[in-house]
Amino acid sequence: MAETEYAVVLFYSTQGAIKAERALLRAGFAVKLIPTPRQLSSDCGTALRCAWADAEAVQAALEGAKVEYASIHKVTVNE
Amino acid sequence: MSEKITAFFASRRGIVLAGGVIGVLAPLLQRLGNPPNMGICVACFERDIAGALGLHRAAAVQYIRPEIIGFVLGSLVAALLFREFKARAGSAPIVRFVLGVFAMIGALAFLGCPWRALLRLAGGDLNALLGLAGLATGIAVGVQFLKSGYDLGRSYRTYTAVGWIMPLLMVGLLLLLIFRPQFSPDGPIFFSKSGPGSLHAPLLISLGVGMIIGFLAQRTRFCTMGAMRDVILMGDTHLISGVGALLAMAFVTNLLLGQIRVGFVAQPTAHSSHLWNFLGMMLAGLAFALAGGCPGRQLFLSGEGDGDAAVFVLGMIVGAGFSHNFALAGKPDMVVEGVVKVGGLTTAGMVAVLLGLVTCLAIGFTMRKAE
Repeated sequence: MAETEYAVVLFYSTQGAIKAERALLRAGFAVKLIPTPRQLSSDCGTALRCAWADAEAVQAALEGAKVEYASIHKVTVNE
Repeated sequence: MSEKITAFFASRRGIVLAGGVIGVLAPLLQRLGNPPNMGICVACFERDIAGALGLHRAAAVQYIRPEIIGFVLGSLVAALLFREFKARAGSAPIVRFVLGVFAMIGALAFLGCPWRALLRLAGGDLNALLGLAGLATGIAVGVQFLKSGYDLGRSYRTYTAVGWIMPLLMVGLLLLLIFRPQFSPDGPIFFSKSGPGSLHAPLLISLGVGMIIGFLAQRTRFCTMGAMRDVILMGDTHLISGVGALLAMAFVTNLLLGQIRVGFVAQPTAHSSHLWNFLGMMLAGLAFALAGGCPGRQLFLSGEGDGDAAVFVLGMIVGAGFSHNFALAGKPDMVVEGVVKVGGLTTAGMVAVLLGLVTCLAIGFTMRKAE
């Protein structure tokens, strides 16, 4: 099993995550809507996942598109 | 240790355990005294609380249900223990209040929340299939609004005391239940002498079960609306596996307790008016989706400090008052001298459900942020 590092972006609402997904897909990032990992928050159920290598660029793109996000976390998954 | 527990509840096994526990405990509460196919029903139990407080005068449905108190306090305990209690508020409270009112009007047209729909199905009441189909349809419409920019805006951290308001209200209700004060000769607090409101499990058992479920649901984020939303929006089956466990375990428990009777007609506290079972729950599902959680989840959120969820809960309680004062709630099927009289909605009830759908659609269409 290989370990893969992802960035998980948390938002204040499901609507925020959907808006971010649209902006990031338009900007050419490979992102995926996922249920917020329970370990990271008890809040809103929807988050966004991308490659950890893209984390900084994704952050910049979200700020550029004026999409508000709560936090970004590194998550390692055995795949 | 804390991290291990959190990881377990975050896992598929954790959510299945939470759903399974609810599925076992609800039919047991029924066996211990709660109404048939109503071991737990957030909408019905909030309606009973509204009645006990005198917000409506339907004499058959008045009782301060300890399960609701337990849900909030169990969630509070979990949030405090795992340092997740966060006071927050400020996301369109008046809209959430209106959504709560119409969610309750829709749920009482069907006669149950999503949890009771599952429990009714697990008890053989096939009308629940119409309710669940309506619920899924309402949520699917809500997801389309989410995708097209519907947004009530974010909440903000606020004074810790704000987060304590709902738990303290629940403590107040518990005191009213225990001491049963009479505020005027014919006034509240009311307790039903017959009908569903008079049927209840012992107080401490109901409260304890409520707290266990509140604790588990806070740790796992159990939510029936979220379960259907995640399947529709992302194809994700994590939450729905908990819902499936609830249904399966409730069925098995009902089977063991001999609490199953399959059919459509004259089921306990249910009507077989199919169109309005569907439309009532469609309204409820749409309101839940626009507000971001099913009635149970709103209680659990309010226990961990979410003031907006608390406003939705208060909207539901007020909605129950409207439902019964204006005769909007579904009338159960009756068997009179061996003849089945199919229940359903009054004309006012039908108008209220349609008005609710129009209102929710208007909220979905008008509260969108341009990108």
